[in-house]
Amino acid sequence: MSIFNSMNTTASALTAQRLRMDVISSNMANVDTTRGKRLPDGSWEPYRRKSVVLQPKDGSFSSYLQKAIGLNGSNTTGNGVMVSKIQEDTTTPFKMVYDPENPDANQDGFVQLPNVDPLREMVDLMSATRSYEANVTVFNASKGMMMKALEIGK
Amino acid sequence: MNTITFPSVLQALPSADKSVNQTSTTPFDAQKSFASVLKDSINKINNSQLEADKMTEMLANGENVDLHQVMIAQQKANITLQATLEVRNKVIEAYQEMMRMQV
Repeated sequence: MSIFNSMNTTASALTAQRLRMDVISSNMANVDTTRGKRLPDGSWEPYRRKSVVLQPKDGSFSSYLQKAIGLNGSNTTGNGVMVSKIQEDTTTPFKMVYDPENPDANQDGFVQLPNVDPLREMVDLMSATRSYEANVTVFNASKGMMMKALEIGK
Repeated sequence: MNTITFPSVLQALPSADKSVNQTSTTPFDAQKSFASVLKDSINKINNSQLEADKMTEMLANGENVDLHQVMIAQQKANITLQATLEVRNKVIEAYQEMMRMQV
Protein backbone atom coordinates (compact mmCIF):
# COMPACT_ATOMS: atom_id res chain seq x y z
CA MET A 1 0.00 0.00 0.00
CA SER A 2 1.37 3.34 -0.99
CA ILE A 3 0.38 5.19 2.16
CA PHE A 4 2.86 3.01 4.03
CA ASN A 5 5.75 3.81 1.66
CA SER A 6 7.76 5.70 4.23
CA MET A 7 7.11 3.01 6.83
CA ASN A 8 8.30 0.26 4.49
CA THR A 9 11.41 2.28 3.70
CA THR A 10 12.09 2.72 7.40
CA ALA A 11 11.50 -0.97 7.99
CA SER A 12 14.13 -1.85 5.39
CA ALA A 13 16.61 0.48 7.09
CA LEU A 14 15.87 -1.05 10.49
CA THR A 15 16.42 -4.54 9.06
CA ALA A 16 19.71 -3.44 7.48
CA GLN A 17 20.93 -1.92 10.73
CA ARG A 18 19.95 -5.06 12.65
CA LEU A 19 22.00 -7.13 10.23
CA ARG A 20 24.91 -4.73 10.64
CA MET A 21 24.57 -5.21 14.40
CA ASP A 22 24.62 -9.01 13.93
CA VAL A 23 27.83 -8.74 11.91
CA ILE A 24 29.42 -6.48 14.52
CA SER A 25 28.54 -8.91 17.30
CA SER A 26 30.05 -11.71 15.24
CA ASN A 27 33.25 -9.68 14.89
CA MET A 28 33.34 -8.93 18.60
CA ALA A 29 32.68 -12.53 19.52
CA ASN A 30 35.49 -13.77 17.30
CA VAL A 31 38.07 -11.24 18.43
CA ASP A 32 40.37 -14.05 19.63
CA THR A 33 39.39 -16.80 17.19
CA THR A 34 42.52 -18.33 15.71
CA ARG A 35 40.76 -21.04 13.72
CA GLY A 36 38.42 -19.25 11.36
CA LYS A 37 39.11 -21.16 8.17
CA ARG A 38 41.16 -24.21 7.35
CA LEU A 39 43.66 -23.63 4.55
CA PRO A 40 44.35 -26.29 1.89
CA ASP A 41 47.70 -27.15 3.52
CA GLY A 42 45.95 -28.08 6.78
CA SER A 43 46.92 -25.02 8.81
CA TRP A 44 44.40 -22.56 10.19
CA GLU A 45 43.70 -18.99 9.21
CA PRO A 46 42.23 -16.70 11.90
CA TYR A 47 38.80 -15.13 11.65
CA ARG A 48 38.55 -12.25 9.23
CA ARG A 49 36.66 -9.10 10.11
CA LYS A 50 33.32 -8.94 8.31
CA SER A 51 31.56 -5.80 7.15
CA VAL A 52 28.22 -5.06 5.56
CA VAL A 53 27.81 -3.47 2.13
CA LEU A 54 24.60 -1.49 1.72
CA GLN A 55 22.89 -0.42 -1.48
CA PRO A 56 19.62 1.32 -2.28
CA LYS A 57 16.73 -1.01 -2.90
CA ASP A 58 15.16 -0.20 -6.24
CA GLY A 59 13.87 -3.39 -7.68
CA SER A 60 10.45 -2.02 -8.51
CA PHE A 61 9.06 -1.97 -12.03
CA SER A 62 8.62 1.80 -12.01
CA SER A 63 12.28 2.40 -11.14
CA TYR A 64 13.41 0.19 -14.05
CA LEU A 65 10.99 1.97 -16.35
CA GLN A 66 12.31 5.35 -15.21
CA LYS A 67 15.85 4.17 -15.90
CA ALA A 68 14.87 2.81 -19.31
CA ILE A 69 13.45 6.13 -20.43
CA GLY A 70 16.54 7.93 -19.19
CA LEU A 71 15.19 9.57 -16.06
CA ASN A 72 17.77 7.73 -13.99
CA GLY A 73 15.22 7.19 -11.22
CA SER A 74 15.96 10.61 -9.79
CA ASN A 75 12.33 11.56 -9.35
CA THR A 76 11.19 8.47 -7.50
CA THR A 77 11.14 8.24 -3.73
CA GLY A 78 13.03 4.95 -3.63
CA ASN A 79 12.25 1.82 -1.71
CA GLY A 80 14.78 1.96 1.07
CA VAL A 81 18.00 0.11 1.59
CA MET A 82 19.18 -3.46 1.30
CA VAL A 83 22.31 -5.38 2.16
CA SER A 84 24.05 -6.36 -1.07
CA LYS A 85 26.73 -8.46 0.59
CA ILE A 86 28.68 -9.21 3.72
CA GLN A 87 32.33 -9.00 2.79
CA GLU A 88 35.47 -10.08 4.60
CA ASP A 89 38.23 -7.60 5.25
CA THR A 90 41.24 -8.88 3.28
CA THR A 91 43.27 -5.66 3.35
CA THR A 92 43.95 -5.24 7.08
CA PRO A 93 46.76 -7.62 8.14
CA PHE A 94 46.33 -10.10 10.99
CA LYS A 95 47.75 -9.22 14.39
CA MET A 96 50.88 -11.18 15.34
CA VAL A 97 51.22 -12.00 19.04
CA TYR A 98 54.10 -13.88 20.66
CA ASP A 99 52.54 -16.86 22.46
CA PRO A 100 54.61 -20.04 22.02
CA GLU A 101 52.22 -22.18 24.13
CA ASN A 102 49.35 -21.62 21.75
CA PRO A 103 48.70 -24.69 19.59
CA ASP A 104 48.35 -22.46 16.54
CA ALA A 105 51.69 -20.74 17.02
CA ASN A 106 54.15 -20.91 14.15
CA GLN A 107 57.81 -22.04 14.38
CA ASP A 108 58.87 -18.67 15.79
CA GLY A 109 56.20 -18.78 18.50
CA PHE A 110 53.94 -16.13 16.96
CA VAL A 111 50.19 -16.56 16.72
CA GLN A 112 48.05 -14.87 14.06
CA LEU A 113 45.02 -13.19 15.65
CA PRO A 114 41.98 -11.84 13.77
CA ASN A 115 42.17 -8.40 12.16
CA VAL A 116 39.30 -7.23 14.37
CA ASP A 117 39.87 -4.01 16.22
CA PRO A 118 37.52 -3.83 19.23
CA LEU A 119 37.69 -0.04 19.28
CA ARG A 120 36.59 0.18 15.67
CA GLU A 121 33.84 -2.34 16.32
CA MET A 122 32.57 -0.24 19.24
CA VAL A 123 32.42 2.82 17.01
CA ASP A 124 30.55 0.81 14.35
CA LEU A 125 28.23 -0.47 17.06
CA MET A 126 27.39 3.05 18.20
CA SER A 127 26.90 4.12 14.60
CA ALA A 128 24.48 1.23 13.98
CA THR A 129 22.59 1.98 17.20
CA ARG A 130 22.26 5.68 16.41
CA SER A 131 21.18 4.94 12.85
CA TYR A 132 18.55 2.53 14.17
CA GLU A 133 17.31 5.18 16.59
CA ALA A 134 17.19 7.77 13.83
CA ASN A 135 15.08 5.46 11.70
CA VAL A 136 12.72 4.77 14.59
CA THR A 137 12.35 8.54 14.95
CA VAL A 138 11.52 8.79 11.24
CA PHE A 139 8.92 6.05 11.67
CA ASN A 140 7.33 7.82 14.63
CA ALA A 141 7.29 11.11 12.74
CA SER A 142 5.57 9.50 9.77
CA LYS A 143 3.06 7.82 12.07
CA GLY A 144 2.49 11.16 13.77
CA MET A 145 1.75 12.75 10.42
CA MET A 146 -0.79 10.06 9.60
CA MET A 147 -2.48 10.40 12.99
CA LYS A 148 -2.60 14.18 12.49
CA ALA A 149 -4.16 13.61 9.06
CA LEU A 150 -6.89 11.55 10.72
CA GLU A 151 -7.67 14.54 12.91
CA ILE A 152 -8.51 16.67 9.87
CA GLY A 153 -12.02 18.00 10.27
CA LYS A 154 -12.49 16.89 13.84
CA MET B 1 -42.39 43.13 -6.80
CA ASN B 2 -40.60 40.61 -8.92
CA THR B 3 -42.08 37.17 -9.08
CA ILE B 4 -39.86 34.21 -9.58
CA THR B 5 -40.76 32.63 -12.87
CA PHE B 6 -40.35 28.93 -13.17
CA PRO B 7 -39.25 28.83 -16.84
CA SER B 8 -36.02 30.64 -15.94
CA VAL B 9 -35.29 28.07 -13.32
CA LEU B 10 -36.21 25.24 -15.65
CA GLN B 11 -33.98 26.64 -18.37
CA ALA B 12 -31.04 26.32 -16.05
CA LEU B 13 -32.05 22.87 -14.92
CA PRO B 14 -31.90 20.70 -18.07
CA SER B 15 -28.16 21.17 -18.51
CA ALA B 16 -27.59 20.00 -14.97
CA ASP B 17 -29.99 17.15 -15.58
CA LYS B 18 -28.03 16.06 -18.67
CA SER B 19 -24.74 15.93 -16.81
CA VAL B 20 -26.33 13.68 -14.21
CA ASN B 21 -27.73 11.39 -16.88
CA GLN B 22 -24.39 11.09 -18.65
CA THR B 23 -22.88 9.05 -15.82
CA SER B 24 -25.97 6.80 -15.94
CA THR B 25 -25.67 5.48 -12.39
CA THR B 26 -28.87 4.41 -10.78
CA PRO B 27 -29.20 4.82 -7.00
CA PHE B 28 -29.04 1.05 -6.77
CA ASP B 29 -25.68 0.95 -8.58
CA ALA B 30 -24.31 3.74 -6.45
CA GLN B 31 -25.39 1.97 -3.30
CA LYS B 32 -23.88 -1.30 -4.50
CA SER B 33 -20.54 0.25 -5.39
CA PHE B 34 -20.48 2.09 -2.06
CA ALA B 35 -21.12 -1.18 -0.26
CA SER B 36 -18.43 -3.00 -2.20
CA VAL B 37 -15.89 -0.26 -1.56
CA LEU B 38 -16.73 -0.40 2.12
CA LYS B 39 -16.49 -4.17 2.13
CA ASP B 40 -13.16 -4.18 0.29
CA SER B 41 -11.61 -1.64 2.60
CA ILE B 42 -12.85 -3.50 5.66
CA ASN B 43 -11.33 -6.69 4.25
CA LYS B 44 -8.02 -4.90 3.70
CA ILE B 45 -8.07 -3.65 7.26
CA ASN B 46 -8.82 -7.13 8.47
CA ASN B 47 -5.84 -8.38 6.46
CA SER B 48 -3.52 -5.92 8.15
CA GLN B 49 -4.89 -6.96 11.53
CA LEU B 50 -4.37 -10.62 10.67
CA GLU B 51 -0.83 -9.94 9.50
CA ALA B 52 -0.01 -8.12 12.73
CA ASP B 53 -1.51 -11.05 14.61
CA LYS B 54 0.56 -13.56 12.66
CA MET B 55 3.78 -11.62 13.19
CA THR B 56 3.13 -11.34 16.93
CA GLU B 57 2.46 -15.06 17.14
CA MET B 58 5.64 -15.82 15.20
CA LEU B 59 7.63 -13.63 17.60
CA ALA B 60 6.01 -15.31 20.61
CA ASN B 61 6.88 -18.72 19.16
CA GLY B 62 10.48 -17.67 18.86
CA GLU B 63 10.58 -17.86 15.09
CA ASN B 64 13.02 -15.93 12.96
CA VAL B 65 11.21 -12.60 12.80
CA ASP B 66 12.54 -9.16 13.67
CA LEU B 67 11.06 -7.29 16.60
CA HIS B 68 10.80 -4.07 14.62
CA GLN B 69 8.91 -5.85 11.83
CA VAL B 70 6.32 -6.95 14.39
CA MET B 71 6.04 -3.48 15.86
CA ILE B 72 5.70 -1.92 12.41
CA ALA B 73 3.01 -4.41 11.40
CA GLN B 74 1.13 -3.54 14.61
CA GLN B 75 1.45 0.18 13.96
CA LYS B 76 0.19 -0.23 10.39
CA ALA B 77 -2.79 -2.20 11.67
CA ASN B 78 -3.40 0.49 14.27
CA ILE B 79 -3.34 3.29 11.69
CA THR B 80 -5.67 1.50 9.27
CA LEU B 81 -8.05 0.76 12.14
CA GLN B 82 -8.02 4.40 13.25
CA ALA B 83 -8.76 5.47 9.67
CA THR B 84 -11.68 3.04 9.54
CA LEU B 85 -13.02 4.37 12.81
CA GLU B 86 -12.85 7.91 11.47
CA VAL B 87 -14.81 6.88 8.37
CA ARG B 88 -17.36 5.00 10.47
CA ASN B 89 -17.80 7.98 12.79
CA LYS B 90 -18.36 10.20 9.78
CA VAL B 91 -20.92 7.80 8.28
CA ILE B 92 -22.82 7.49 11.55
CA GLU B 93 -22.75 11.24 12.01
CA ALA B 94 -24.28 11.69 8.55
CA TYR B 95 -26.92 9.04 9.29
CA GLN B 96 -27.89 10.67 12.56
CA GLU B 97 -28.04 14.02 10.85
CA MET B 98 -30.49 12.50 8.36
CA MET B 99 -32.57 10.94 11.12
CA ARG B 100 -32.85 14.27 12.90
CA MET B 101 -34.45 15.76 9.81
CA GLN B 102 -38.02 17.01 10.38
CA VAL B 103 -40.46 15.41 7.98
